[in-house]
Amino acid sequence: MSDLTIQWPDAQSERVEAAKGRLDVAGARLRSRSQEGVLSVLASVFELWRDPTSRWRRKLLAEYPGVAGFLPETARVGLDLALADWTGEALCKAFETELPGLEQASSPRISPFSMTSVLLAGAIPMPSLLACVLPLGVRSPVLVKSASRDPFTPRLLAESIAEVDPELGRCIEVVSFPSDDAECLGRFMAAECVVANGSDSTIREIARQIRPSQRFVAYGHKLSLAIVAADSCRDESSLEAMAHAISLDVALWDQLGCLSPVALYVLGKDAATHVAAVTDGLANALARREAELPRGPIDLEAAAMIRTERDGARMRAAAGASVELRESAGTQWTVIGEAESDWRPAPLHRFLRVHAVPNLDALANAIRPIARNLSSVAISGFEKAGRETRELGHRLSLLGASRICPAGRLQAPPLDWPRDGRPIVLPLCRFTQLESAPSQPR
Amino acid sequence: MTTRSERQILDGELLDWMGESPWCHDEARFEALALRLFAHQFERCAPYRQFAEARGISAGRLGSWREIPAVPTGAFKEMALRCFPPEDTRRIFRTSGTSGQKRGELHLDDLEIYRASSLASLRSLLFPDLPRGEASARIPMRILAPSAGEAPDSSLSQMFEFLLRELGGPGSGIDVVEGRLQTGPLIAALEDAAARGEAIALCGTAFAFVHLLEALEKANIRLALAERSRVMETGGFKGRSREVPRREFYAALGDRLAVPDSRIINQYGMTELGSQFYDSLYVDPDGPRRKLGPPWVRVRIVDPETGRETEPGEAGMIVIHDLANRGSVAAIQTADLGRSIPASRDGAMGFEILGREPGAEARGCSIAADEMLAEDASETQSLENENGSESGKPRFA
Repeated sequence: MSDLTIQWPDAQSERVEAAKGRLDVAGARLRSRSQEGVLSVLASVFELWRDPTSRWRRKLLAEYPGVAGFLPETARVGLDLALADWTGEALCKAFETELPGLEQASSPRISPFSMTSVLLAGAIPMPSLLACVLPLGVRSPVLVKSASRDPFTPRLLAESIAEVDPELGRCIEVVSFPSDDAECLGRFMAAECVVANGSDSTIREIARQIRPSQRFVAYGHKLSLAIVAADSCRDESSLEAMAHAISLDVALWDQLGCLSPVALYVLGKDAATHVAAVTDGLANALARREAELPRGPIDLEAAAMIRTERDGARMRAAAGASVELRESAGTQWTVIGEAESDWRPAPLHRFLRVHAVPNLDALANAIRPIARNLSSVAISGFEKAGRETRELGHRLSLLGASRICPAGRLQAPPLDWPRDGRPIVLPLCRFTQLESAPSQPR
Repeated sequence: MTTRSERQILDGELLDWMGESPWCHDEARFEALALRLFAHQFERCAPYRQFAEARGISAGRLGSWREIPAVPTGAFKEMALRCFPPEDTRRIFRTSGTSGQKRGELHLDDLEIYRASSLASLRSLLFPDLPRGEASARIPMRILAPSAGEAPDSSLSQMFEFLLRELGGPGSGIDVVEGRLQTGPLIAALEDAAARGEAIALCGTAFAFVHLLEALEKANIRLALAERSRVMETGGFKGRSREVPRREFYAALGDRLAVPDSRIINQYGMTELGSQFYDSLYVDPDGPRRKLGPPWVRVRIVDPETGRETEPGEAGMIVIHDLANRGSVAAIQTADLGRSIPASRDGAMGFEILGREPGAEARGCSIAADEMLAEDASETQSLENENGSESGKPRFA
């Protein structure tokens, strides 16, 4: 007997290639189907995922939180809130809004990409769900690379699609390989359309390998903020309600998502006088959240950064700056009322800074350093100030915010929200204009 | 007068210790000096005093140096932490950074302790084979960093200048001029040393070495430096547009210069500290590679969740108590992670610095915004700004 082991030269890259081969076959069938029919199947799948009692949601909650690093209850509440309005109807509406009148003969036709490769990142399921489904909605088979911290969502989604419509289920393949496996990555990115999620450095690295003839849709680093009207802080109940709402935005997904606020600005002439009260209110609210929705474990690096930033705040306070530090006994939550509006490091994991800005110009100056990475802004206390609210919205949109929402709703974006300020379906489409022959010259 | 005499007494005792050879790791001596130094700094540095008092700590009540509160390195960016009147400032070292970024500052009223501490560590940990006080106690040295004249706020450049004066033999020189590595003269010097079979020491920032390696590769030059040649690199690639895996970096040094891993020493230091740490390879070639420092420095590894010291071998934050920081604050909490390594034969604790696992994915799609800002800055730096020691943490991928 020989103990020789035969090792496939590069099993992982061969698996990627095999998945592409299967998608080639399935894609031909997919392109022959009507878009309406495909969307109807995907809408049914979304309804399954929206149902908290469905077996897909239960399976996800059973497996996912441990690997992603969230505690099950926190993940459950996050999913319940985010998926509540992601109905099948909302999905169809998103396609109709961005691709109106496609059935009309005069409209350009969609020529589906032969394959769309979707590179997932992060640990939050909703962006992964949407990223996998959207290419299918325009009848492009999809090759998905799962994120290391959430290998479950794309796999379960593929299974749920296959259960509803086996033929459509064959149009999604999920692969997994180390991010530094250049051979696998090269094969994975050979698709006509590549969608990449990840850090800015990852996006830059991938962009270098994209040919000009490929469609490249990239989603890099983003972060979100909260803005509170100083006037609303005078009233204790308003302040408490605001803190309660913002604490949910911070606590869900342990502040690790693009939609998690990393800083709060109190906006108004006497904003500085409210920083301490807002800091206290948020500290109390985050302490309550910790009891209801405990934060997941964090790694040493994150804990060290939190400790470093807390001690930095202590030093500034010792040197006479008006800095208010509120913290849990461990690293579970931190709120720092800052004396200045300058941007400071955001260690995440439920760590929030509170700044005062007297007016919109000061606000714009304060957030300009991170404006290119700005995603969403939660606002509170501006309900009565109509013109000011409009002006605030205008300034934030100019700074790059793609969504402005009430406090407490940051983690529940509408399905059709133009993520990063652009349509969600159109970038995945290729169009063909059909022109009829010119009429005979007279 | 009392203030100066207290300072002079402390300085005298520290300089005596730094001048001793071989090193004496005397725990009682460290304990006594550390507590006296804390009392000195507590009295004269108001922000530090208030920081300590806010934690219920005052100078007379401490039972051990381990209870001395450590300030985060970031505090050096926020305020002047000094124990002397501003008008006595002789030199300010600044951390690296670009315009618009806050830079940490170490204020010094005297360079002598910095000089004595730096040179003592270099002699013992990088050049232990050079006999003291003899003509042969020098070695040709090329410095891959700007001169102290060109970069007066760089502590690293100052340290290299002390080193050149003290131990640099004929053929020594500084190879970063006006912010650029002078690859031509440097390669010529290396070729000359190789041809004569003379050992040479190359000291500089890791990023400057990458420039040298690129130049050697471009010119297709491979040199066989003499056996006792050595490389000291520091600073890593923090804030740089390019990171080179450490293994790859060392392999390239071996390939192009014939300097084996065992003669490549990484220095761990930072602007906020008066002392530095070096790989243990020269003093303990058979032991595990770890960082060693002088006996007037202690390192604690602290659990960031609890603030308590970790068990030996467990990872945590690196806290350094450096008595060479007489003029500022001796206890520094770095942002770096590390793990203690069993004590070497002479009793000095060693440690290793830990980084993120290669290829490890950050959690979530959001990151700390300072990383984004750092990415912006990375494209604009030249070697001129290379201090290489802001946080000391090697950013090897």
